[in-house]
Amino acid sequence: MARVVVLGAGISGHTAALILRKKLARLHEVVVVSPARRWNWIPSNIWVGVGRMKKEQVTFELAPVYARAGITFRQARAVEIHPSGRAGAPEPYVVVESTAPDSQGAREEIAYDYLVNATGPKLNFGATPGLGPEGNSLSVCTFDHAEQTAHALDEAIARMKEGAKLTFVVGMGHGLCTCEGAAFEYAFNLEFELRRAGVREQARIVFLTNEAEVGDFGVDGLQIRRGGYDVPSSVFAESMFVERGIEWITGAHVHSVDPNEVTYETLDGQKRTLAFDFAMLLPPFTGVGLKAFDQDGQEITSELFAPNSFMKVDANYTAKPYEEWTPEDWPRTYQSPLFPNVFAVGIAFAPPHALSRPRKTENGVPVAPAPPRTGMPSGIMGRAVALSIADMIKRGAKQPTHEASMAKMGAACVASAGVGFWSGSAVSMTMYPVVPDYARYPGAGRSTRHTTGEVGAAGHWIKHILHHLFLYKAKAYPGWWLIPE
Amino acid sequence: MGIASEQWRHAMKPTRWVVFFRTFVLYQLWRFLWINLRMVRMIAKSH
Repeated sequence: MARVVVLGAGISGHTAALILRKKLARLHEVVVVSPARRWNWIPSNIWVGVGRMKKEQVTFELAPVYARAGITFRQARAVEIHPSGRAGAPEPYVVVESTAPDSQGAREEIAYDYLVNATGPKLNFGATPGLGPEGNSLSVCTFDHAEQTAHALDEAIARMKEGAKLTFVVGMGHGLCTCEGAAFEYAFNLEFELRRAGVREQARIVFLTNEAEVGDFGVDGLQIRRGGYDVPSSVFAESMFVERGIEWITGAHVHSVDPNEVTYETLDGQKRTLAFDFAMLLPPFTGVGLKAFDQDGQEITSELFAPNSFMKVDANYTAKPYEEWTPEDWPRTYQSPLFPNVFAVGIAFAPPHALSRPRKTENGVPVAPAPPRTGMPSGIMGRAVALSIADMIKRGAKQPTHEASMAKMGAACVASAGVGFWSGSAVSMTMYPVVPDYARYPGAGRSTRHTTGEVGAAGHWIKHILHHLFLYKAKAYPGWWLIPE
Repeated sequence: MGIASEQWRHAMKPTRWVVFFRTFVLYQLWRFLWINLRMVRMIAKSH
């Protein structure tokens, strides 16, 4: 009998847990540890944040799903990993701390044979003074944040209907943020809702981003073949902003968010302020801060984790300049190099480097979008690791049997630009591969055949269908496994 | 010159027809099928 413990129940962890449960006989145990009791389809938080969906529509209770699937569930946060066990008892274990209302703070040790770290990010609002819902700006990172943002938007619209002219700032709250696509979506949905409410003329909308140019999305931008040319995604992104009258500020590191004023620095070293009435600014991510200990109780966190608290896996972490980055730097199996029964997937693994060219302002402040590891790639990693672990348990495989390198993986992404069956639209994008490969695809770094993008209502229909499809899959309803990540 | 007008001058703008086709149902039904096909191909390449 083997026990697999999955830390985290986001897209990657939840996918891994369901696939492990499907592949392993019931004599083996699959345990999921998640501090949240509800699963959240995070891409639809954008729609919660503009009031077009309720949080109940993008979440569901995990416990009944896991009970039905035969997965043991602990509502708790992982705090320690002991990958070599303790002196005299080498069985590895994790220490978790309950977040359930009836046992809040109670600690428990859970032994494991295999561990999947899918803890996702810590939303590091603290990196920028005043950033976040507990400070002076809003967020859509969680369903609660998104709901709070929707209330703030309602209030803003009410003020505008009384004649007020307001400034909306949407974007990234730090120079090292990731998930620029989410802010991009929110900006367009916000603009769409203001138009729908009939108050667009009274709104100034500014997109404030750490991308060197809009349309970078943390993947160094895309080249899309159109009209006989390979056109940079920045051209299309700028076109969309201009069409909707949204201003943009690029290459920005936000220093602080004060009440109604954001202070930022751009790549030219200029420090500026921007007054706002409503600011939705996403935070940078770090790992959740898991600690690791050896048999003697000595801390070995720095051996298992990178300085940003993400877990080191089978990547090449040698520091090197942008020009020397290669697709081979990226992990394939997500196995810890120190402990072969430990894996990290989704946002929890430490990327070897960014995808976008890192830059610094004239004053030396880093402005470098972090690489996205969410959505489709995240689910595929979870699947690959689950299949590898299942083979290790069932067939005694010594090495991971499945790979999911982001350098050999594509991504399909639909970025909403407004909700409405007839009037809504979205940008439908595909890219291949996620990590640019300039040796294989000289110039663009990606296949111009498989890297595409277009705007239209069809994208909105697809996004809406995907919302229901992935919720169905995540609820492990009949045939869930037929739906790909 | 404000940010918006300077940015407006340098950006590509869609024509009336491009904007029309973005919500023209018959065309979008065709695009719906085509985009789905593209995504399925991408999923197949990535698994």
